[in-house]
Amino acid sequence: MELLFLPLLPYLAWLLWTALRHPIPLSYNWRSLWQRKVGTLSTAGAIAVVVAIFVVVLSLAQGISSAFVSSGRADQVVVLRPNARVELNSSLERDRARILKSSPLVAWDSLGPLASAECLTVKLLELADGSGSTNVLFRGLEPAGVRMRSQVRLVEGRWFRPNLPELVLPLKMKDRFRDIALGRTFTFNGLNWTVVGLFDAGSSAFDSEVWTDVETLMHAHRRISYNAMLVRLQAPEKIPVFVKAIEDDKRLKLEGKPEAAYFAQQTEAGKPIQILGQMITVILTVGAIFAAMNTMFAAVASRTPEIGTLRALGFRRVEILASFQWEALMLCALGGVAGAAMALSFNGIRTGTTNFETFSDVGFAFTVTPALMLEGFGFSLLMGVLGGFPPAWRASRIPVTDAMKGG
Amino acid sequence: MNGEAIIRCEGIAKSYFRDSLEIPVLQGLDLEIPRGGYFALMGPSGSGKTTLLNLIAGIDRPTGGSLEVCGYRLNDLDDDELAGWRAIHVGFIFQNYNLVPVLNAFENVELPLLLQPLSRAQRRARVLEALALVNLEDRMWNFPRQLSGGQEQRVAIARAIVSDPRILVADEPTGALDAKNAEEVMALLERLNQDLGKTILLVTHDPKAAHHARVQIHLEKGVLDRTVEVNR
Ligand SMILES: Nc1ncnc2c1ncn2[C@@H]1O[C@H](COP(=O)(O)OP(=O)(O)O)[C@@H](O)[C@H]1O
Ligand SMILES: [Mg+2]
Repeated sequence: MELLFLPLLPYLAWLLWTALRHPIPLSYNWRSLWQRKVGTLSTAGAIAVVVAIFVVVLSLAQGISSAFVSSGRADQVVVLRPNARVELNSSLERDRARILKSSPLVAWDSLGPLASAECLTVKLLELADGSGSTNVLFRGLEPAGVRMRSQVRLVEGRWFRPNLPELVLPLKMKDRFRDIALGRTFTFNGLNWTVVGLFDAGSSAFDSEVWTDVETLMHAHRRISYNAMLVRLQAPEKIPVFVKAIEDDKRLKLEGKPEAAYFAQQTEAGKPIQILGQMITVILTVGAIFAAMNTMFAAVASRTPEIGTLRALGFRRVEILASFQWEALMLCALGGVAGAAMALSFNGIRTGTTNFETFSDVGFAFTVTPALMLEGFGFSLLMGVLGGFPPAWRASRIPVTDAMKGG
Repeated sequence: MNGEAIIRCEGIAKSYFRDSLEIPVLQGLDLEIPRGGYFALMGPSGSGKTTLLNLIAGIDRPTGGSLEVCGYRLNDLDDDELAGWRAIHVGFIFQNYNLVPVLNAFENVELPLLLQPLSRAQRRARVLEALALVNLEDRMWNFPRQLSGGQEQRVAIARAIVSDPRILVADEPTGALDAKNAEEVMALLERLNQDLGKTILLVTHDPKAAHHARVQIHLEKGVLDRTVEVNR
């Protein structure tokens, strides 16, 4: 999008310059727009809708990526089977987990080493809106795993206890899934699982996961190995050393990924809806540009004698061109401001999408930042330049003698 | 005529082309108008009056002949130069007033001054002066739709003189006005000619209006038919 502006930059600079030493005042264009209220408002409205969609699509991508980006810590490493990409596809035998935990590079707290062997699985949960069920990631953790996710806070109830079928869920799941509450039980794999706590993961990816005790989850699924392990190192600088060490260790044959990078790679989860959104935006944008163009062509046609008069009074072609280009820009900017404001009403709304790496649900909130709103506004100006130029060019070509033919 | 001609047309020709068909409108026309002259250009409809006026006012180009106005050979000026020349040397008065509807009287009169290097205060002073001349200072915040036809034309005249051009061109300025308003406008033009020394070229087919001019020229089939000095 920024690239689209580059070739237009000299033209925009010229326009700005004409506005500063502008012989035809911008108030003339502003009032002319209000002279044709219906046309102006309906065109600006159409542009507003397109800008709003544009910003919402961007804010969705922003929401997904901030969910993942806020999940990782700079001093932690996710240990996986080589080429597993995600924890779900990985596996880690118990003896290897033990070797990893005993590494001298692992950080400790008062309760022991900060390393958590974890087990992941996916289960269907019913959606709150009654539209069916979707896959949710269940994570079994060791007690250290909870302590290592510092952005996760317990807000209701208590944490799960070892060797018991107890679940702790994100509070944010309440909006999206049915009957999320303390005391509720789920039955699967022959056990009755009770919800004993609700946590808040600060909008990170963990706000889409159900947590439980790793041993209980593995036992219920008759698994003998973990999926992966999260390890905290004594300092971020130790990461390369640790990664190299486990790669070189013949007994392990494991891959270590910095946790931040591991989650950043999952930002890709938002790609499919993002691409769909962009395709819709492009189609709508073409329509909006033509709407603006059409409105401005009509304005130029109805003001032919006026334009001829201005030319007769001594205004040059470029000044007419700039004037009508500015009018188109104002028209589209009007839509841009309205559209950005419309998009703002989506800010914070939570929804979810399928992470195509894990085929489970990722919850996220539309994140409409000022930067995105500004981008939407810039987008409306781009429409103004493209849609406004042909009519402005035509206006600048009107023969002066047409001024004599009416008024 | 005398040597102090402000408008000099020599062998002016103008043809329009429609589908490669040449429609000659002016055919080798000679005309000299002295500084401070007040000429009425008359003739039947379609005889080329507007065409000639447009050429002299520099908003159209001849297909032949030489045109010198206010010391400039208009044939030699390019489009932008011609626009700059108009801004300084010619004031336009149109049959349909041609005020910009979204601008009030003050802003309409101010328009030509926006092309000149004047401060806001200087512009304001000149606009007020011009509006005083047409006796409309009290209506300067009115928009064209809030004015009568006669008032609109007087605002248009104020706009034509605000940048103090030496020549005024008026194409049927009373064509859309009733007799009383027409008379008022004609009296105003006469004053601009006599008191301010403006050279005026007036196109009209109204003999009463033409009578205000000092010279009447008659256009017939693309050539000047006769010239009549008006005795008063
Ligand atoms: N733009 C044009 N294209 C073709 N013919 C034109 C154009 N303007 C004027 N004419 C023709 O030139 C002739 C003179 O027109 P004009 O100067 O407007 O006459 P008048 O003002 O005396 O009525 C008319 O026959 C008119 O049809
Ligand atoms: Mg005419």
